[in-house]
Amino acid sequence: MAMRKLWATTKREYLERVRTKWFIVATVFGPVLFGAIAFLPSVMAMRTKASTNFAHIAILDATGTDLGRRVTRALAADSAYAAAGPMLRIIDPKELTVAESLATHEVMRKQATGYLVLDEQTMAGETARYAGRNASSLTDVDRVQSAVRKGLLAMRLEQAGIDSTKVQALTGPQLSLDAERITDQGRGGSGTVSVIFGFAIAFLLYMSILLYGQNVLHGVIEEKSTRMAEVIASSVPPDTLLAGKVLGVGAVGLTQLAVWLITAYALFKVRVPLLAKLGVHSTALPLPSISVGLALLLVAFFVLGYIFYASLFAAVGATVSNEQDVRQAATPVTLLLVATIIFMEPILLDPTSQLAVVMSWLPFSSPIIMPLRLSVISLSPLVIAGTMAVLIVGCIASVWLAARIYRVGLLMYGKRPTMREVVRWVRYAG
Amino acid sequence: MTDAAVDIRNISKRYAGHVAVRDLSLAVPRGAVYGLLGPNGAGKTTTIRMMLNIIAPDTGSITLLGQPSTASGVTDRVGYLPEERGLYKKMEVRRVLRFLAELKGIAPKVADKRISEWLERVGLSSSEKDWGSAKVDELSRGMQQKVQFIGTLLHEPELVILDEPFSGLDPINAQALKDIVVELRRSGTTVIFSTHLMENAERLCDAVCIIARGEKVLDGAISAVKAEHGGRFVALALANGAAHSLAPVLNDPKLVRRVDDSNRTMEIELAPGADPQRLLRTIIDSGATVERFELVQPSLHRIFLDKVGAAGAEERTNGHA
Repeated sequence: MAMRKLWATTKREYLERVRTKWFIVATVFGPVLFGAIAFLPSVMAMRTKASTNFAHIAILDATGTDLGRRVTRALAADSAYAAAGPMLRIIDPKELTVAESLATHEVMRKQATGYLVLDEQTMAGETARYAGRNASSLTDVDRVQSAVRKGLLAMRLEQAGIDSTKVQALTGPQLSLDAERITDQGRGGSGTVSVIFGFAIAFLLYMSILLYGQNVLHGVIEEKSTRMAEVIASSVPPDTLLAGKVLGVGAVGLTQLAVWLITAYALFKVRVPLLAKLGVHSTALPLPSISVGLALLLVAFFVLGYIFYASLFAAVGATVSNEQDVRQAATPVTLLLVATIIFMEPILLDPTSQLAVVMSWLPFSSPIIMPLRLSVISLSPLVIAGTMAVLIVGCIASVWLAARIYRVGLLMYGKRPTMREVVRWVRYAG
Repeated sequence: MTDAAVDIRNISKRYAGHVAVRDLSLAVPRGAVYGLLGPNGAGKTTTIRMMLNIIAPDTGSITLLGQPSTASGVTDRVGYLPEERGLYKKMEVRRVLRFLAELKGIAPKVADKRISEWLERVGLSSSEKDWGSAKVDELSRGMQQKVQFIGTLLHEPELVILDEPFSGLDPINAQALKDIVVELRRSGTTVIFSTHLMENAERLCDAVCIIARGEKVLDGAISAVKAEHGGRFVALALANGAAHSLAPVLNDPKLVRRVDDSNRTMEIELAPGADPQRLLRTIIDSGATVERFELVQPSLHRIFLDKVGAAGAEERTNGHA
């Protein structure tokens, strides 16, 4: 009997939300966003490479040496789409000012992208100057800088009497740094990837809990303000109504997250072949390696965290009669969530700190902090089980509290009750 | 145990500052139309909510259709229309109704059939326009009220409880509601409604209970209530207006207690122990031409005014008469 009514209310909450335009748009838009993240950087990179190819850069060499030629050669080798390489101009130091203003005009008239000035300060190993439209592009500037360094180094080595072919071989290697993470289980995936993943997971959990918690809150207020609450209360015990609401909205959240995660995973999988068809070469983005166990833990923490907060939001909803009072009334609950998110970054940087440990045990922060830590470091099963047990106790307490406030508040209209009155509701409901 | 549809024994409900219902007992016979009458704030809504187990009484017991009101499933046999009405605004009419039926344990298929029948019956669904697939907030207020009636009756309840059902209704919907109540009565359904409009109660109710300040003032079948509490009244109309010769008759304290002259007719309350036949004879002997002389019962309105007024005056002394 009670189960049938629970099913009826849960089903209504779920179906009415899934049918809304908002849900459909958000669910479709999520994957579009993932798609943009997966594809746009590659496509953009292709475009920017074409525009900043170094054929349109002028090199003003006022050093009186062959440094300009060396830099030109280095940049030409770096520029995938321009066989020509930059335009080299040998300048008399006295005429440098004139040449510079001429080059500035060229850039202004879009005949060149920018220009590089090599002078005696460059020879002294101090500075070289670059001016151009792409001066804010860190990669471009970085490449120019390393080309100048390399040229200067090669020149100095040759001046020191080292054979030029040897110099070529010595300065040739292009080194890149691969960082890898080591955990108790050994080496696992890239360090940056797991930090980004941890951050993304924690933020996703925070957003989802907040979003769907507020959804529950507004659902309760709608039932109160449309007076639907009293009709339903004559058929269904308030506790069942509360449970149906929390479960129904939670199921909506899980549906949306599932759609998002599956599409995101699929998009990452087909990204390389699809980009290849578009004529863009790319490397596979590293996916964080998540075991099934970790995935289940993340889902469990999400569900528990959602239940904890959704019940509290429902209780808040029962204490107000109109939308105007909501923001103020919901502040204490929202603050708990926001307080957690404030500590996300310090915990991510030092996931074994005292702060991280404490926040893993508090039921209001553990649903976000534990997944965050789990995705960057490994924790002992004892800690995982312990924090989850504390969180479950927290959930039971929050559901109990919410049910009592909800039962009384559902049919209360008018002035918002004071804290003392709410405490009395909790004490006497029954 | 009685065979009453509702049997309330000594219930009380106390809130922080005041007593909403005090030691109230009443029995609603099965198949009756029962009026719960009282001024605003008398405790009618609180009583109804306790019947439906929405709130629990502090003391006392309530039996609904032979079962304690707290028993699981008993409220599935009851239909309830609250005083403050409303529906989910963004939901389709049919879906709201199906949901309400499902809460009472009606399978969606059965519910859909009944919903269509009802929508047609109240004129919300025709070959031209089907309001059933519209969202609730696209409907006019009157239409929403009709939908709410349907939601109350969809599960074919044995007991229907309507809290101030006539408030806010236009005359057409009020008439439709009255027709529905009469039809429910005919099909054997018990109907309880609360109101402070005595005319409605007088026309519709088989039995009433008047409450004021959370306490019962009187209850019983309408005829019994009138006979017991009304005193005896005569409606008198004369052919040529009141003759001067009549004055001594009307002023005789052995015959007449009070006269309410309304120009065309006079309402005369007989003195205790006076014989109406003797009054008639005396009037004719005085030379007046009698057009109408009828023994009437007082209106519920008058009883209500007398009793609730009296209860107010006697508050906290000895309760009710």
